[in-house]
Amino acid sequence: MTDRHERRLTADDVAVGETGPEVVVEELEREDFVRYAGASGDFNPIHYDEPYARDAGNESVFGQGMLTAGFASHMVSDWFGMDRVDRFTIRFQSRVFPGDTIAVTGEITDVEDGDAAAVVTADLEATTDDGTVVLSGETVASIPRE
Amino acid sequence: MPSKSLDELEAQVGRTVTTVEDLVVEPGKVEEFARAIKDDNPAFRDEAAAREQGYESIPAPLTFTRTAYFPRYRPDGIGLDHGFDLGFDQSRVVHGEQEYIYEQQIHAGDVLSGKTTLVDVYERDGSRGGTMTFAVLETAYRNADGEHVLTERLTRIELAAQGDDDD
Repeated sequence: MTDRHERRLTADDVAVGETGPEVVVEELEREDFVRYAGASGDFNPIHYDEPYARDAGNESVFGQGMLTAGFASHMVSDWFGMDRVDRFTIRFQSRVFPGDTIAVTGEITDVEDGDAAAVVTADLEATTDDGTVVLSGETVASIPRE
Repeated sequence: MPSKSLDELEAQVGRTVTTVEDLVVEPGKVEEFARAIKDDNPAFRDEAAAREQGYESIPAPLTFTRTAYFPRYRPDGIGLDHGFDLGFDQSRVVHGEQEYIYEQQIHAGDVLSGKTTLVDVYERDGSRGGTMTFAVLETAYRNADGEHVLTERLTRIELAAQGDDDD
């Protein structure tokens, strides 16, 4: 198990302003969109058929929004652990194109202390290397006292 | 504008349709999904690693139920519009927002079913003219024991058509 996947976060470790473990996906390729189509069942041709995507007014094919959401879920899972996540909300802001590098970050905006757990709210954001926000979101997780 | 009027869409709000049947969370599919989202967590690949991290067995990634779109898990006649007659022009449809509310951890081996309710439809002016139409679809997933494991809320948007500017 790598350090990233150790699950030692307790309620004592969380505070407003703390940031999560950044996830960076380098230089997306068309192949990544095809692989996500095959894994997810989203076979909308706008993600892999260049003439179709251009006819619909796009500069090229672009990634599935849910692929970017998957990158965001990776960050949230590493940060809190999947079984502690109560809510995960994603708003798709912009498309991701072949060649884009995506970084996902998160920051805790609220902590409500309870007897058994702290309920943490965090803002999420995925940006491309030129600073375009492609996804924004929020997650709520219950982090046990110990 | 969709080929349906807002009145026709609003008449469907509150309707519930069975949209997912026998979605088996297969361990190989979990691994394939994790690879596609580039998540290297060994918990998605190996039962022992999953247990070491405190999961009962291999956990499903947070967005795994996107795989419910595979035809094998869809009852006949259920497509992208989840069985609702929205009349959206699919070439102009974008995915605006997605929300997951988790009730229980989903693991490999679980068998899920889902029922989708159209919870809201509304229109907004497009930023470059025309009308955008929003549909909010909420899917409640249950496991084989009938326990509610997940609620998924999807907002689909039909963008304004090019040339709608003069509407």
